[in-house]
Amino acid sequence: MTTRTASTRGTLLLDRGIGPLLVLPATVLVIVFLVGPFYYMMYTATTDLSFADASRNGNFIGLDNFRKLMRDDPLFWDSFLLTLKFVVLAVSIEFLLGFALAFLIFKFVARQRLLTTLLLIPMMIAPVAVGLIWRLLLQGDFGMVTYYMRKVGLLSQNAAVLSSPDLVFPAIVAIDVWQWTPFVTLVMLAGLMSLPRSPIEAAMMDGAGPLRIFLDVMLPLLKPIIALVLLLRGIDAFKEFDKVFIMTGGGPGTLTELVSIYAYRVNFRNWDLGYGAAVAFMVYLVVLILCSIFYKAIYWSANRPTPLGGHS
Amino acid sequence: MGIVFEGVSKIFPDGTAALHGLDLAFETGEFIVLLGPSGSGKTTACRVLAGLENPTGGRILVGGRDITALPPRLRGIGMVFQNYALYSHKSVFENIAYPLRVRKIPRAEIERSVKAMADLLQIGRYLHRKPGQLSGGQAQRVAVARALVWQPDICLMDEPLSNLDALLRLHMRTELKRLHRELRKTFVFVTHDQEEAMTLATRVAVLRDGELVQFDTPQTVYRKPASRFVAEFMGRPAMNTFDGSVAGGKFRAASFEWAVPGLPDGPITLGIRPEQIELVDASATDSVAFEVDVVEHVEPDMLIFARRGASNLIVRAPNGRRGPEHGALLHLRFPPDALHAFDSKTGKRLP
Amino acid sequence: MDRPASRPWIAFAWAVLAVAVVIALTPYLWIVLASFKNRVDLFASIPKWTFTPTLANYPAVFIGKDYWPLAINSLIISTSSTALCILIGAPAAYVFARMDFPGKEDLFFFFLTTRMAPPISIAVPLFLFFTALGLIDTIYAVVIAHTSFNLSLVVWMMRGFFADIPREIDEAAVMDGRSRLGAFLFIVVPLAAPGIAATAVLCFILSWNEFLYAFILVAFEGRPLTVGIPGLVTPHGTLWGQVAAVAIVATLPIVVFTFIVQRQLVRGLTFGAVKG
Repeated sequence: MTTRTASTRGTLLLDRGIGPLLVLPATVLVIVFLVGPFYYMMYTATTDLSFADASRNGNFIGLDNFRKLMRDDPLFWDSFLLTLKFVVLAVSIEFLLGFALAFLIFKFVARQRLLTTLLLIPMMIAPVAVGLIWRLLLQGDFGMVTYYMRKVGLLSQNAAVLSSPDLVFPAIVAIDVWQWTPFVTLVMLAGLMSLPRSPIEAAMMDGAGPLRIFLDVMLPLLKPIIALVLLLRGIDAFKEFDKVFIMTGGGPGTLTELVSIYAYRVNFRNWDLGYGAAVAFMVYLVVLILCSIFYKAIYWSANRPTPLGGHS
Repeated sequence: MGIVFEGVSKIFPDGTAALHGLDLAFETGEFIVLLGPSGSGKTTACRVLAGLENPTGGRILVGGRDITALPPRLRGIGMVFQNYALYSHKSVFENIAYPLRVRKIPRAEIERSVKAMADLLQIGRYLHRKPGQLSGGQAQRVAVARALVWQPDICLMDEPLSNLDALLRLHMRTELKRLHRELRKTFVFVTHDQEEAMTLATRVAVLRDGELVQFDTPQTVYRKPASRFVAEFMGRPAMNTFDGSVAGGKFRAASFEWAVPGLPDGPITLGIRPEQIELVDASATDSVAFEVDVVEHVEPDMLIFARRGASNLIVRAPNGRRGPEHGALLHLRFPPDALHAFDSKTGKRLP
Repeated sequence: MDRPASRPWIAFAWAVLAVAVVIALTPYLWIVLASFKNRVDLFASIPKWTFTPTLANYPAVFIGKDYWPLAINSLIISTSSTALCILIGAPAAYVFARMDFPGKEDLFFFFLTTRMAPPISIAVPLFLFFTALGLIDTIYAVVIAHTSFNLSLVVWMMRGFFADIPREIDEAAVMDGRSRLGAFLFIVVPLAAPGIAATAVLCFILSWNEFLYAFILVAFEGRPLTVGIPGLVTPHGTLWGQVAAVAIVATLPIVVFTFIVQRQLVRGLTFGAVKG
């Protein structure tokens, strides 16, 4: 019954011809400025286009760029693996910390507005500003954090975090954690708050203690939201560019050269646009895969079976 | 061994007072129904007994032991929730088995208990399903099975039938009564439906604004309601009531008089149930005439809505003969032993 | 649910949360302080928490180094791309919320993928494209880029807000004699106004904070603040007080906005999947 009325309602709107008219501008804009470039990138990836070498003016070379990428470019694979390491480390720490904080807020704080808003600041300010703030804090001669790290013996007198080969990668992970843990906290808190009360109370009546209630009832109900958070953060972390670029520029050496920074270097420092397009395509591909998983997760969470009549 | 509420109060953080010093005591094995309109505190009373809410005053004893400070899991009480509250990610079997798993009962015994309870409730065929694949009635049975499988001494039910359709509700009602007879546990059942209370309870506790108004067998609550509120709440259609005053053995309402020998002078509210009003011939001397407004046929009876001046009443009569026309005069008699008198200020029953 | 908790636990929880807030806020607080420090206080090898504040950094960089046009650029880019996004995106979102047509969900997913696209992958062809159009190094290029990538967010977020409004409302308006478009403009849009406002603010924030597209598309003319700040950092002798001053101007509006839209933020940042 309901589906039938829904579709007749739909056609009522369609009949007037307004529907397509209303979606058209958005679709056109996106196709021209996002999809068009995507295909142009795929095309460029099959050419030898380079702004640095006049003889390479866009001749078609088939899959040579991809062949080179796969076989003869250790720098690409280094940056790719480094990015994966960055994503896994940063996102898992953010998740554990963020969830723990969300749980504490949920359990113990009655008026959450002010607290969560304060926690939000790191993730809302521009990533460029985040990069600069931490560059100042970690500055070798007068950085505030540098000073206190030296004081407690975490850092030797003449070393600086961002130029130390041992510390620079942990540092960019830590700063990503600083910036994005609040996001996990916020979303998980929303998830906890929307949990239906009655299954939890039912578990209390069934004799479960706090730990079992958490593991047996809350965690399964939160699964879709957990999947969402992990994927969203995973996609974003994989694309990370701004703050690492500002803080280290990928250095020292290539120790923090994430794959998007590598792609930037190939394209806009070496001006090797054909090959750069191939690199950019690889980044896009990974994101697209993560993205389609994310989409499934959204539908999973939208259509998840709720406990019968469960309400919050 | 009994269950005792001793001056239990509950004021919520937002200032709402749900219970005002509730005193209530009943025995093991009873089928107690907490009855009242919404906001009467019946659900709060149930949740306080469950341990889901902490009372702000008073204490609760079970078998002489003070359980007020105990968490729910240590109280030995099972509960059926209004929306069933099944674990949507677990199978029906695992839902029912959960209280046993939590108590680390051996596997074989869990298997046996769940099967037995499922058979008792006729859900043996659905054990492998997920709650999302069950009908309302089946989900209801699973919830009952889960609440009872671990043999708690007390089983609480918070409006368990209100989400079922009418026919299923009648069916489950009978089923619950049978279950109570077979298991001999204490059932505490919360409802706003007076018919459920009448049919299920060994004793009914009527609550209003967080206070106990009457606590007695359904028959007594119906026949000797402790107040005008109880009188109008129990029985459908509700009891007819008239405000007026007594002078010299005569009750005088806005538009009619009736002899009430033995009642002291002063303002009272007089009540009579619709089915106890007698229809008499026009020739009868001790009768009062009302004008018919609307007639509803609720087979096998009919409800006659009638008025006389500012006074309205409902008569329930067998539908044997043809119904009176709109505007016809109806001659009514109020048998003396069917009359209830209530204090016009406090609403309390006058003896 | 009653949440009885023992005192030590409450104390522990608040201690942890206090530490979290301190860690989250101190870095930002430090750069606020830095923007009011003179050179001596800034370069002190022992961090100075108290000092005599100076306002000199702000005029020095915004007027002395001519950075105020960058702030104006940021404002123009964010405002116009937000306005465009809402104008184009809200009607599309309404259609997605109210209609069924074949391929609808696919088209919807397609919008999502455009949002998720890594800027670095799109930036190269966009760079070539705008070069060909002669728009490179102009503010228009950035506005268009920001509008396209924020559009999907608007569509996703607004669909949720429109879906929250019962269909019967627009149907009643149609029965009362309005056209469908009229029902949308005069009945649905006012009802969804809080949601539209929240979406707009989030769009503004994301555009204001964006770096990579702007960095690649404009080198000098039309630079927003985010692209301008890194230019102040040099290998030697960076004037950190001025960097801090620009950073404050570039972040303060956002901090204020965050307080305003906090409630809708979760929804926006999870593409409507989680209602905050």
